[in-house]
Amino acid sequence: MKNPYLPLLMRLVKNFVETEDKLIHTFTLEFLNEEDEKSFQYLPGQFAEVSVFDVGEAPFGIASSPTEPGHLKFSVAKVGVVTTALHQLPEGTILGVRGPLGNSYPIEEFKGKNLVVIGGGFAFTTLRSLVTYILHPQHRGDFGKLTVIYGARNPGLLLYKDELAEWEKRPDIELVTTIDHPVEGWNGRVGFVPAVTKEVAPSAENAYVVVCGPPIMIKFTLPVLEELGFPPERIIMSLENRMKCGIGMCGRCNVGNKYVCKDGPVFTRAQLNQLPNEY
Amino acid sequence: MRELTKAIQETAQKLLQDKEVELVVGFAEGSLPLRNTPCFIRQPEEAQRLVWGYGCENNLATYLRKRPEKLAVVAKGCDSRSIVELIKENQINREKLVIIGVPCQGMIDRKKVTRLLAGRELLEAEVKDGQVVLKGKGYSEAVPREQLLHDSCLTCQHPNPVLFDIMLGEPVPVKEADSFGDLASFEAKAPAEKRAYLIQELSRCIRCYACRQACPMCFCEECFADCSMPQWLSKSSLNVQDNVFFQAVRALHLAGRCVDCGACDRACPTSIDLRTLTHKMVKDVQELFGYTAGVSLEEKPPLAAPLSSSTLNHF
Amino acid sequence: MLLLNKDQVTNWLNKLMQTCQVFAPVKEGDYFCFKQISSCDQVILNYNNTRVPPKEVLFPRSEKLFCYRCENDGVQLTEQIDESKKIIIGLRPCDAKSLLLLDNVFSSDKYQDPYYLTRRNNTVLVGLGCNQPAGTCFCTSLGGSPFSTEGLDLLLVDIGDQYVVEVLTERGRALLSGMELPAADQEAQEAARMVKEGASLSSQVNLEGLKSRLDVNFYDPIWDLIHEKCLGCAACTYTCPTCHCFDIVDEAAGNEGCRIRNWDACMFPLFTLHGSGHNPRPTGKERFRQRVMHKFKYFVDNFNAIACVGCGRCIINCPVNLDIREVLAEIQGSEVRSDNQ
Repeated sequence: MKNPYLPLLMRLVKNFVETEDKLIHTFTLEFLNEEDEKSFQYLPGQFAEVSVFDVGEAPFGIASSPTEPGHLKFSVAKVGVVTTALHQLPEGTILGVRGPLGNSYPIEEFKGKNLVVIGGGFAFTTLRSLVTYILHPQHRGDFGKLTVIYGARNPGLLLYKDELAEWEKRPDIELVTTIDHPVEGWNGRVGFVPAVTKEVAPSAENAYVVVCGPPIMIKFTLPVLEELGFPPERIIMSLENRMKCGIGMCGRCNVGNKYVCKDGPVFTRAQLNQLPNEY
Repeated sequence: MRELTKAIQETAQKLLQDKEVELVVGFAEGSLPLRNTPCFIRQPEEAQRLVWGYGCENNLATYLRKRPEKLAVVAKGCDSRSIVELIKENQINREKLVIIGVPCQGMIDRKKVTRLLAGRELLEAEVKDGQVVLKGKGYSEAVPREQLLHDSCLTCQHPNPVLFDIMLGEPVPVKEADSFGDLASFEAKAPAEKRAYLIQELSRCIRCYACRQACPMCFCEECFADCSMPQWLSKSSLNVQDNVFFQAVRALHLAGRCVDCGACDRACPTSIDLRTLTHKMVKDVQELFGYTAGVSLEEKPPLAAPLSSSTLNHF
Repeated sequence: MLLLNKDQVTNWLNKLMQTCQVFAPVKEGDYFCFKQISSCDQVILNYNNTRVPPKEVLFPRSEKLFCYRCENDGVQLTEQIDESKKIIIGLRPCDAKSLLLLDNVFSSDKYQDPYYLTRRNNTVLVGLGCNQPAGTCFCTSLGGSPFSTEGLDLLLVDIGDQYVVEVLTERGRALLSGMELPAADQEAQEAARMVKEGASLSSQVNLEGLKSRLDVNFYDPIWDLIHEKCLGCAACTYTCPTCHCFDIVDEAAGNEGCRIRNWDACMFPLFTLHGSGHNPRPTGKERFRQRVMHKFKYFVDNFNAIACVGCGRCIINCPVNLDIREVLAEIQGSEVRSDNQ
């Protein structure tokens, strides 16, 4: 019997301060054993439980893409016991990782379709995974037009700034970044994500949209998407209820009869419409 | 009892009818013998559900903190004393609370009944003329009521509410001062024996926190037992040391606030003796500070007041 | 059917204790609990039921998942799987049924919980029929019965000086090897039949149509009131034989530690509190609704069974007498309103 509670061992090779407020760090972890890497087959949208030994474990969406072999990336906000400990760790520390857990973005369904990716704040982690996956030369041809709308309060709070700059230069992705209030030297847009989405007005035709962000952003973006003609079956969202086991047993992350950890975290809006609003 | 029940119903009905309050918190018939259950009445016609009995064992002050509406509560002596402390701690707005005082004849301890019945199931009970008639399959047994009252009721000095807006019934006679006799055997123990006793009792703790939740004074936004940064105690109930630590800190935190209602002790599903700790704390506070919780709205709780020289002399 | 004299029980248990951990009802304070016994004198089979259910033998209130030691260049993990052979003697048919329900949780198509399942596979269940169900028992409403054999390896039926032993599985039969028990004669069988007939339940709940009500009443105003007296403790969930929620924490000192799982309860606010401070089930209303929904709707949706066996523990143990039978009756009696957020 495979023990789903036992973590794989990984080495923290990079503890990178991602945002200017220093509250988000991006951690790059390398597998200690080759077999572990082979067994860790994941897709964008999945998450993993990361252990800091002697502190505990917490679930994080995987920010790296399976097209980036050899390591996993997690971008983590400092909010609780585990994340605070994680932020302080020196590079070289051995961590535990359980996963991949949960479902993923419906990559197969996305194939042949245009894709709109909308993110806000630090909820861009698994979206980075998705965009990176799609932009990979081996995959790019499988998908249609790719539009990314990404907003943060200010430029310093955007994640993955270097990569955003790279994406900006590419012809096969339309990247729209936005900040809440104007700042000198900022070349992107100014305004909240829902308003910017309305301005950009990505076509719903033959398209899926993936939205991740703070609840308030989601709340105001959904009506915009509806207006643009995205049916609930093609609006993809990712939930993040409190989790412990990550395998549908410990009982806390359920929304109605679904467990976010096992049946999610990715749901279509149509699915969520069928569930109570406990998330 | 019947008269009190009737008086409570009438009072509640009138308060609701006259829109003096939106809600009356009292007791209804319970689903088990010798059991009453807290109930929340909002419609005048529902006031008929209210009763008074020997199973009104819960401390209803627990339900009164930070309520938005104007409400009334049926309060026996201990409830009223908790209310007094909660008013002093700014948890209850006195202006919005109507206290329906009810004299308390003491509540029946179903644990004592269980012990007495030694395995036989109680199916029915009736209290009359100072006797409790216990009935079950093939037996009927009359026991003097005093024998079955909660220990905290047996030594209660304030069976009549200390604070009320409406007083129902006739005050019951007050017993002679609490001699804390039940603590004698615990106090006589050597420290190691005391510890052994607590460890033995708290090995049954399953950390359901029924004691804390039932206590009207345990209202911390975040209980120290739940803190994760820092984590003060192990979350595992198999860590008996930390079960003891939890109860010890709880008792200390209740020093000068605990009215010895016994709610924690009654709530425990594994019947851990919690009252020895809380009662001991009540005694110590009385001896050290001359303070009895919940009897005066003016007197400051000793651990919330600056130490006076006379208090310091105790040490 | 075999016949076991009560005076043979000591002998039998002594024999079993030589090869297995034997768990049996023992008296603790005023009540009973399942404990691993070291002597037959502790065992009391003439008991009503335990306060804490025997689920804790298979799913302890606290257990180590693994321990670790951080070394210079690595971490050593040691799995802590309990592979000991166990026997639970004298558990009630309702509690045996609860284990069948828990099996659903701990073994899904995707994940197996090795801690629970290893213990489960290594545990033989010797049931004890209920000659006198308590007033709070309502197992028959949930498809159980005082002498149900579901999930058991052996069932003991107390007929006075003897037990009629119903052998239900090969594992059960193996427990009796060497005992050379005689077959239950006509008289004993008749006595067992009489005992079973005499075991009537006074309490019932009406579950007809409950699920279809719960399917649509998530936003019904009934939830605003039904929980009101609930204190938000875990006396009901921790003493429930089917509640299985847990927390996972690390306990460590220096460079060594263990990952531990503890029982947890949907009645606690912390259970669902997000790191951000947001809580999807912020008040007693949502938490109490979750408990009812989980048992009588979500579990049915997911496993086609109600997560309640009618043991009555939550009724007995609730500090404010919030009686699940009354809660269900109230839901049944309420006007069904269609969902509306």
